[in-house]
Amino acid sequence: MARNPKADPKATRSTNQLLIEQMMTKVATISQDIEKRGQNIFGQSNLLTIDEINDYSLEFLELFVLLLQASERIDRRGSEYKALRQFFSNFSQQIQIRGGNLEEFVRYIHFMQDVFLHNLESDATLGFQQTREILLLLASVFNDIILDVFHIYLAEKERTIQAQQEELKHTSTPITEIWDGVLTLPIIGTLDSSRTMSVMENMLARIEKDRARVVVIDVTGVQAIDSQVSHHLIQMIRAVGLMGAKAILTGIRPEIARAITSLNIDLSMVSTRSTLSEGLKEAFALLGVSVQTASGPLH
Amino acid sequence: MTMVRGMHLTPIGEGCVLLEPADGFDPGDPDAYLVPLAGTLQRMRARRLLYDLKNVPVIDSLYFAWLSSLAAMCRISGIAMVVVSMRPATAYALALTMKDQPPFDCALDVNRARALP
Repeated sequence: MARNPKADPKATRSTNQLLIEQMMTKVATISQDIEKRGQNIFGQSNLLTIDEINDYSLEFLELFVLLLQASERIDRRGSEYKALRQFFSNFSQQIQIRGGNLEEFVRYIHFMQDVFLHNLESDATLGFQQTREILLLLASVFNDIILDVFHIYLAEKERTIQAQQEELKHTSTPITEIWDGVLTLPIIGTLDSSRTMSVMENMLARIEKDRARVVVIDVTGVQAIDSQVSHHLIQMIRAVGLMGAKAILTGIRPEIARAITSLNIDLSMVSTRSTLSEGLKEAFALLGVSVQTASGPLH
Repeated sequence: MTMVRGMHLTPIGEGCVLLEPADGFDPGDPDAYLVPLAGTLQRMRARRLLYDLKNVPVIDSLYFAWLSSLAAMCRISGIAMVVVSMRPATAYALALTMKDQPPFDCALDVNRARALP
């Protein structure tokens, strides 16, 4: 049976006000439920202390009430909404930093929503329309929060992957001045455009800084070579030449040599040696340096 | 120091002449420079031309064509051309666009260029 709005004072209030009323009358239960669930999820795995969980729960309730009080409808551009999103951003980052699981965090957010829904069910004075509006409001706010948490999680993962890739780039292509004026550049893995760019930038800067005369590029660690990789190698060698240094390519394994000939890649302008040690001998020869043992010439 | 329009030429001994492009130099018009430059280099009895790229931040296809023309003219005149002081960023960009070996030698700086065989 339809309710008479005049007879029901709740019918004249906005959805936000109704939800605030709900929270105010049952704040102790809601807060207790959220804290309890938080302790189950984060406390058992020692991700958060009990005090932290309780603080987060209270802060969430405060921010949520402030959001509901701010205007008749949820203002997604308002500072209260931003504050709530920021709260969840910080919270999820904290969980991630401590090695927490995103899935559990999302379940926790769902549970927060469930607590409100549960309280709605127990309130027999609310009409169908009011319940529906409250449900829609909760779904909309919590869905946005979950999306934000996912975005933060993905961004954080992306940052970690990028940092690891950067570190790998640096560690996999260490440029070393092995002798006055001689740089060695061992390449491990594959040479894609982005890596070539970074290696070339570092190498050319080092040639200028160390006043290098010879650069020995060792490709012993390169597993496979295709036209793209060889093209990048040739570009690197040309750039070395333009800086006035001489490039020596070493460590071309038989399979790589076979691949280069199959691809009709012309390396005639490149000085090549079979091993890094042979390359170094060639570099010393170019510099007019002879290496010998105390007892005589080195063979 | 001798001045050819758009560039400074300085004899630095042992038949070496240092060329520094000046403000207003236009690499798009090589014909305006090649003949007067060849005459000046011959009068200076140059055996090696050191082209200073210290103040040239970008070598595009136009500038590269100018350098290639100059290298060809030097070769005919019996002058070795060495490009010096190319910046790392310039070398990097040029290496990505070059299809063949450059028709001139390169050296890190003037002293290295003078010491070339």
